[in-house]
Amino acid sequence: MRTCQSVRQQQPVNMAGVGFRRWAVALSKGKGPGISGLLSGCRAASGVTKDSGLGPYPKTPEERAAAAKKYNMTVEDYEPYPDNGEGYGDYPKLPERSQHERDPWYQWDHPDLRRNWGEPMHWHFDAYIRNRVDTSPSPVSWSSMCKQLFGFLGFMLFMFYVGEKMPAYQAVAPKQYPYNDLYLERGGDPEKQPEEVKHYEI
Amino acid sequence: MADYQEAPLATRPKTLDPNEYFNVSTDQRRVEQSRAALRAELKRQYQTQLNNPHRKELIEDPALTRWVYARANPYTYFRPTFKTSLLGAMFGVVPLFALYFIFKTDRDRKEAQIKAGTLERKFSLSS
Repeated sequence: MRTCQSVRQQQPVNMAGVGFRRWAVALSKGKGPGISGLLSGCRAASGVTKDSGLGPYPKTPEERAAAAKKYNMTVEDYEPYPDNGEGYGDYPKLPERSQHERDPWYQWDHPDLRRNWGEPMHWHFDAYIRNRVDTSPSPVSWSSMCKQLFGFLGFMLFMFYVGEKMPAYQAVAPKQYPYNDLYLERGGDPEKQPEEVKHYEI
Repeated sequence: MADYQEAPLATRPKTLDPNEYFNVSTDQRRVEQSRAALRAELKRQYQTQLNNPHRKELIEDPALTRWVYARANPYTYFRPTFKTSLLGAMFGVVPLFALYFIFKTDRDRKEAQIKAGTLERKFSLSS
C-alpha cells in the first residue's frame, strides 16, 4: 500500500517539471527506505517504519515508557545502553546471557534458538546462539582457568627457550673407521704399509 | 528440594529460585504479572498467526526486524566522542601505519643482510 505526500492544489504548472523537481529533492533528502522510496518520492509501508526502528536515547520518562512499549518490555526491565555515541540509540540492554543458559525443556516458539516470537533480542544475539559463545557457569573460576592455561603455556615456552640457549645432549666423538681409517678403500697404495691407527687405549 | 545444588555447568532455573517463592513483595508480584501478561500477549499473537489455516506467508517477527535494523544502522546515532574516536583510531589507523613500518624495517634489514652476505640461510622450514 502506498501513501503519497499531500496533494497539491490545482495550478496551471508543468506537472512533469514539478514532479521531477520534487523527485530530485526527495532523492537528495533520501526519504524512505529502498528503491521504492528513491524512485517515486513515496515510500512503501512494508519494512521498518519511522517509529518502529531504532530511536534516539530516551531522556524523559515518557520516552522510556514509549521505548519499553515498542520493544515489548516492562518499564522496570527496560534499560537502554548508556549514551556514549556508540550507536546503540534506545536499544535495550538485556542481560549478557547466552542461549545455552535458557531452559532446554520449555516449549519455545523457536526451539533451536530457545526464543519466543516477539521477544526482544540481545544486541549480540548472533554471538550468543547455541553454536557460539557460551556464558554458562564454568566448573572453575575464570581467573583460575586463565592462570592454569597461561601458566602452562608460559612455562613450556620458557623451558623451550632455555633448551635452545643451553642444549644438553649425549657426548659425541668423530666416527672411528676400521682398517687403518679405511686405507685401502680410500685409495691407498696396496704395496705401501699404512701407518697404524689405534682407536683404543688400554 | 531445599538442598538442591545445580549442576556445575548450569545456572539455577528460575522456577527453583527460592526468591521466587519466599520474601516476594506485592510490587514484585505486580511486575511479574505485567511481564507474564506481555509474554502471554505475544504468545497469543504468534499462535493465532501460526494456526491460521488461510495463512500462506511467513510470520514476520517485529523484534527480529528491529534487531536487524538496529544492527545495520549504528551510525544513525554515532557521535565522535573521546572513546569512540580512540577505538576507531586504534583499530583503523594505527594498524595500518604500524604494520607498514614493521614490515618495511624487517625487510630492509633482511635486504641489507643479503647484500652484505651475512644472512644465515638455514634449511629449516619456519624461517
